[in-house]
Amino acid sequence: MNPYGLNPHCEMLLEEYREQLPMYDSLKKVVMEKLQLLIEQSGVETNSVEARIKKEESLVGKLERKGGKYTSLSDITDIFGARIITFYNEDVDRIASIAESLFDIDWANSVDKRKMHEFSSFGYNSLHYICRLPKSLYYDPQYPKLNEIRFELQMRTALQHVWSAIQHDIGYKSEIETPIEYHRGLSRLAGMLELADNEFSRIRNSISDYRRRAQSLVKSGNIEEVPLDGDTFRSYLGLHPFDKLNRKIAAITQAELHEANLMPYQGVLRQMGMKTLGDVERMMSQNFDDAYQLALFQLGSTDIDILAESVGIQNLCIVHILKSGGGRLGIKLMFDYINGKMPQNAVMADIVMEQAQRLSFMNR
Amino acid sequence: MIFDIKEQNGGMYATVSGRLDTPAAVKAQQEITPLLENADKVITLDCTSLEYISSSGLRLFLTIRKEAAAKGGKVVIEHINDEIKKVFMMTGFFNLFEIR
Repeated sequence: MNPYGLNPHCEMLLEEYREQLPMYDSLKKVVMEKLQLLIEQSGVETNSVEARIKKEESLVGKLERKGGKYTSLSDITDIFGARIITFYNEDVDRIASIAESLFDIDWANSVDKRKMHEFSSFGYNSLHYICRLPKSLYYDPQYPKLNEIRFELQMRTALQHVWSAIQHDIGYKSEIETPIEYHRGLSRLAGMLELADNEFSRIRNSISDYRRRAQSLVKSGNIEEVPLDGDTFRSYLGLHPFDKLNRKIAAITQAELHEANLMPYQGVLRQMGMKTLGDVERMMSQNFDDAYQLALFQLGSTDIDILAESVGIQNLCIVHILKSGGGRLGIKLMFDYINGKMPQNAVMADIVMEQAQRLSFMNR
Repeated sequence: MIFDIKEQNGGMYATVSGRLDTPAAVKAQQEITPLLENADKVITLDCTSLEYISSSGLRLFLTIRKEAAAKGGKVVIEHINDEIKKVFMMTGFFNLFEIR
């Protein structure tokens, strides 16, 4: 029975495909497991990792078009194919390096489409590796030929993938089949996306450089001019800047200190007008004694012997707000920022105002 | 009984009442077992009738929070009175819990 009307040679290849499908399924499972594990360990963020076994109808189409050039099924290298989409150009190369460490690469048939364009032309950009699964990585006696199967690994960025997918969707083939204006339009878009890919990489590299520089300055204690932002504040917290005040407050009732997330205070400090870590340091040294005094009024007459590590920075912010004339509203806004807006924040602001009345600067 | 616990809307709902001082907190350690066992869910502690909380009571709340953090759940504290609000504020515990 020959429902597709293929010639006997192609029909033989199709029969071979049907027989070998379980082996291809097994290959797909092993390859994807190995690949995904190493990608995860490398920390490379991927947009998607997908794999497929070529459908029978699709293979039939291929055999109809160019079945004569294949001696056996093993000459067709994309029966099993995987595609890994990354966000950045550099990550395509990192994934390629992972593939090289895992699989035997058939270099003669692998192609880097990114390097195939003339300097003045733009188009499909993707890295295609033709691979084999080495026996040293996996061997199944049930499928001894599994390690001889070649499969295709496509690696590209999300923007390269978008271009390729849209190009495929609109049925574009080549400039011979498509009017020149459409070809030019797609080339123009490919150029623009290539530029965008490079720009995303440049921005990511710049941000990484900035973070490294800021972290290095923070670690060396040279924080005066380090801008206050999420990254630098996190590094700054690594120096435990509020520990001295926390320990002094905890000593009031010999309390234990419980770990707390202080990151929300970065926003409060920004709201208070602090622009650099130097500003935060100055604020701390100017308000240290009053923040401790406030804690003494709050805790001195209690037997509370457990505190969160946020107690020091909370009191520093309260004192700073009051000294700056922010009053009850300023305190409430601080709690709004930390806890989210809720009626309790107004009650807490009232409690703070009552406790803070005894601070010496409030009566000047 | 300090913690009256029931399942509600796919989460755990505990009415906390009375004085959660040191002896009560010791006793309540057994009572919170169902909360710890279901700490992958949202645990709501309704404190409408909670009159007082000591450091031991705060530690008990922390135990529940720690378990919820480990299991992917969360703890929501509702309706604490002004005295307990004061304690939560002074200790920085307001930063540790979602309080409604």
